Amino acid sequence: MNPINKHNTHIVMPFEYHQPATVRAAVEILRKHPGAKPLAGGTDLVPKMKQRLLEPKHVVNLKKIPELSVVEDRGDAVYIGAAVRLREIEKSETIRRRLPLLSSCVRSIGSVQIRNMGTLGGNVCNASPAADGALGLVALEATVHIAGPGGERQVEAKSFFEGPGLTVLGEDELVTGFTVPVPTEDTGTCFISVGRTALDISTISIAVALTMDGDRVKDAKVVLGSVAPTPIRLADAEKQLKGKTLTEKLVEDTAMKVSESIKPITDIRGTAEYRREASRGMAVEAITKAWREGRTQR
Amino acid sequence: MSSKPAFKVLGRDTQRQDGVAKVTGREKFASDLSLPNMLHARVLKSPYAHAKVKRIDVSAISDPTVVTLTPDEVPDARFCPRLMSTPEATYKDWTVLTSKPRYVGETIAAVAAESEEAAQRALESLVVEYEEFTAVFDALGSMEPGVEPIHDYIELDEETLKVESNIACHLEIEEGDTEEGFRQADHVVERTYRTNRRYHTQLETKSVLVRPEPNGGVTVWSTTQTLHNTRILLHEIFGIPMGKIRVMKVPIGGSFGSSIQVNPVVPIAVALALKARRPVKLSYTREEDLHDHCSYQMIFKLKLGADREGKLTAGHLDAWLDIGAHQIQAYPLLGCVVGWWVSLYKLPAKSYVGKAVYTNKVPSCAFRGYGNPQITWAVETLMDELAEKVGVDPLDFRFMNYIGEGDLFWGQGPSVKSVIHSCGVEEILTKGAEMSDWYNRPRAETQTGRHRRGWGMGRGYHTSSAGAPVPGTVIDFGGAMLKLNEDGTFDYVSALMDHGGGTLDANAKIIAEELEIPHHKVNIVRADTGTTVYDVCTHASRGIYSGGGAALKVAAQVKQKIREQAGNLLDAYPNALKFRYDQQREQAVVYAEGIEGREITYKELAYTMRNKNLGTIAAVDSYRQPSCPPHFTGYFIEVDVDTWTGKVRPLRVIAGADIGTVINPKLAKGQIHGGLAQGWSMTVNEDTPYDPTSGDLWNRGFISDYKVPTSMDLPSLEAFTVFFADTYEPTGPFGAKGIGEGALNPVAGAVANAIQNALGVRFYELPITKDRILEALKRKEVEA
Ligand SMILES: Cc1cc2nc3c(=O)[nH]c(=O)nc-3n(C[C@H](O)[C@H](O)[C@H](O)COP(=O)(O)OP(=O)(O)OC[C@H]3O[C@@H](n4cnc5c(N)ncnc54)[C@H](O)[C@@H]3O)c2cc1C
Repeated sequence: MNPINKHNTHIVMPFEYHQPATVRAAVEILRKHPGAKPLAGGTDLVPKMKQRLLEPKHVVNLKKIPELSVVEDRGDAVYIGAAVRLREIEKSETIRRRLPLLSSCVRSIGSVQIRNMGTLGGNVCNASPAADGALGLVALEATVHIAGPGGERQVEAKSFFEGPGLTVLGEDELVTGFTVPVPTEDTGTCFISVGRTALDISTISIAVALTMDGDRVKDAKVVLGSVAPTPIRLADAEKQLKGKTLTEKLVEDTAMKVSESIKPITDIRGTAEYRREASRGMAVEAITKAWREGRTQR
Repeated sequence: MSSKPAFKVLGRDTQRQDGVAKVTGREKFASDLSLPNMLHARVLKSPYAHAKVKRIDVSAISDPTVVTLTPDEVPDARFCPRLMSTPEATYKDWTVLTSKPRYVGETIAAVAAESEEAAQRALESLVVEYEEFTAVFDALGSMEPGVEPIHDYIELDEETLKVESNIACHLEIEEGDTEEGFRQADHVVERTYRTNRRYHTQLETKSVLVRPEPNGGVTVWSTTQTLHNTRILLHEIFGIPMGKIRVMKVPIGGSFGSSIQVNPVVPIAVALALKARRPVKLSYTREEDLHDHCSYQMIFKLKLGADREGKLTAGHLDAWLDIGAHQIQAYPLLGCVVGWWVSLYKLPAKSYVGKAVYTNKVPSCAFRGYGNPQITWAVETLMDELAEKVGVDPLDFRFMNYIGEGDLFWGQGPSVKSVIHSCGVEEILTKGAEMSDWYNRPRAETQTGRHRRGWGMGRGYHTSSAGAPVPGTVIDFGGAMLKLNEDGTFDYVSALMDHGGGTLDANAKIIAEELEIPHHKVNIVRADTGTTVYDVCTHASRGIYSGGGAALKVAAQVKQKIREQAGNLLDAYPNALKFRYDQQREQAVVYAEGIEGREITYKELAYTMRNKNLGTIAAVDSYRQPSCPPHFTGYFIEVDVDTWTGKVRPLRVIAGADIGTVINPKLAKGQIHGGLAQGWSMTVNEDTPYDPTSGDLWNRGFISDYKVPTSMDLPSLEAFTVFFADTYEPTGPFGAKGIGEGALNPVAGAVANAIQNALGVRFYELPITKDRILEALKRKEVEA
């Protein structure tokens, strides 16, 4: 049967629904039923099931697991549980104050209705190259906590993604949360995204974090979304900034480097040429804003 | 001009009668309905853009209660789902199901089962064998020699026509000596334009519920803009006597023209219900709906000439309409495209060659404006360019050439001509220029920096209905029934549909105004084909002008009967009686002025008549309007273009509209806000491109990749000014005209001109996306 007669039915295939109360129980279900899918907000998973792009036989609800829903300020880092609602992250005073970059990434996801449902864990595990939350976590060098039958392991956010929809997670593993280091006081950050409309998945997005000593860049992170199979850090651009005194010229040269070092594709949201062209201006804006912010915060 | 009478009901904001049901979610649309013992249907769609079905095997369906329907089980009558033209202008190329699918998503077979899920599972066990043909996705490419024919034969007025070069139909017109006109021109500009194919994004997807009746007939609840044409078409396809086909009025969940034709789901569900002998419901998913209809993509080669002073001398238009796989109303559209064009500006000589071309894509149908937004975008863009050449301000150029009061007008095509008797163009343009400080707007090409601002203007109109003094090929008349109830209220019964804009309330207000009562005393009845007289369709911005015209006609007849009956009972001369509303008694009173005791309320009148067996006061009549007056609109729009991201934002919008008497100011403004939103999105955003490898829509029907603007993409309410011109249409009910389509038509031209004003770059293809803007800026940079 051709997909056209399946992908638009809105009628999902039958599945068994599980609602564990602990991470351990959830992992056990995943282990027992290869191909089972964790369900958080369902804003990515359910449309895929209704479109019949995914036909899991087992679905495991994570929202009734208390340990996945905590936000905790741990001093030099903030811990965010995988099943915390995006709207809660957006409203959290702690996150707004201590992780303004992540806060603005999360605010740009969908609409209030979507953020009322969606979670950060879902955003990351869905592994879309356009995931805004994922971009912020990569730029902030967050750690991803993973639970599996063998216990816990941790992976750097930037190494978590392996391609569109692909991650390092095993079928029987779960993401439990993220440890997000709080940037030092002298760090300025900026996130920008462009879509076809305000309520669109990004055509292209960029997150920049610059740790400044006056106008000198101590450390730089430049991360782009929707220009590669995963969110990517641009080492070349970062290298060009690190240790240098920022000038408008350097910002422009770096932006040019950004534009040259990405290899985007054309899809329905935008052309490859567009992405390359827009990345330049967006990089100028993001670097400049991060620079100003980093300088004044000192 | 202001010879307007003082109105008591019109011109005030009133609460809609369906308002509570709609805001509380209790309104039931076709997709909400269900009946006992009902089956649920699903349709099998072609995965190929062009193929022949060689075999359909239903034997693998294990569920014995499933009912299947294949192409050889439906009447093989060819039909046109859109019945608004006379037979000699109605091209027929549709069948209920097809064994020659002509686009990805075309319906081949259908199944009905106890649940939607069971129907879907049954559908998935159908085995179909196809023979695939090459497909074509571009109108110009489709006419090339050697291209696979999409239709071999079609029908016109009982005759069989052979289709040549995939041209569905064509129309050529010449008035005056165009060659000579261009010779007289000092400046000539010719450009080629290409529009987008937009999806209507109406809230409700196409749905239908059909109940087969014991007498062999059917009762139909469907998403439609036309009850009576639905009945006529079902009669033509299935041969069921009309009296046994009952099409019920169900609120429509938005339309924008997408249910102007009888939706393909309707005959399919009827065929299934007749076979199953059980009620059948078929409700499209959003993905199916995206594979059901879209706007017409058009390619224009437009040429205009003007003399030294700026008077237009001649124009020529070549138009290719990409109609997709079937004709819904391609021929009348060819007439409208030329009509919209030549009725904007005075062209002493003009010629036109229009061709409607088949492609292997979703069939196109009317979309708010019926081709007018498309051609007006091209004309308004070219008018700006030509003005620049002549050396006059584009606004002054329009003042010099527009068609207005006293001029002949044929918006609805060459067979629908009438003379304009109300015109607010001057007022709209003058006020708009003042409010936008038009003459001090930025000059193109003078700005540098990341953000550039520009002002653009565009003007246009749409006809209110397709009326005219003499008959043409377009059918346009309606009717209404009105009766006085025993409590002094009235029942207003009509086949007219309210698309959500408040049309029926507006007509109830027209009746209330005539009968001197508040609007809530006129009850809007949900009727059906058996209880209403014919109305062609609620389209062409005719709901108020034609529908309200019919309402006023019967209201006047009822008023006359009230005079006569009250005259008898009061022993007074009917023509001397007066009417007033008594707030305390909450009753209209008929009285002989100055004579004590000679008065009677509507309620007393109706009750007395009942008690004395004198009958019911009622009137039913049809109404053909004598004209189709244009309602004029004009937009002045300021935009910001981000040259780094290519994003365009609306900063300020000033919109003027000449709609004659304004019946409901808030709802009329709402039409303009909606028109701006759709026009904005048409200009910078919407399109349904195809994936040439799969032949399917690139977004495969997923709405997540068909974006429409939300409030965050649109101007803030403070930055959006709407004003109405002070006009009165002498042929309209209490001076009223339409608004629905005129609200949209000039928007794309205004936005495109604003982008040009900001960037100094013109775009000849819609939508002007962020991608196209950056591409054009880059090209400009390279060239410079
Ligand atoms: C209209 C709309 C607009 C949107 N706009 C945006 C946007 O602007 N930006 C953006 O980034 N996204 C957007 N999204 C996508 C989506 O809302 C987000 O990615 C959201 O964060 C997903 O979270 P969720 O909890 O709903 O995930 P779910 O749908 O529940 O899960 C997503 C995937 O992750 C898996 N999963 C979930 N949690 C875990 C876990 N803890 N461990 C292992 N696997 C897990 C699921 O099995 C599934 O495969 C949009 C979606 C919609 C429908």
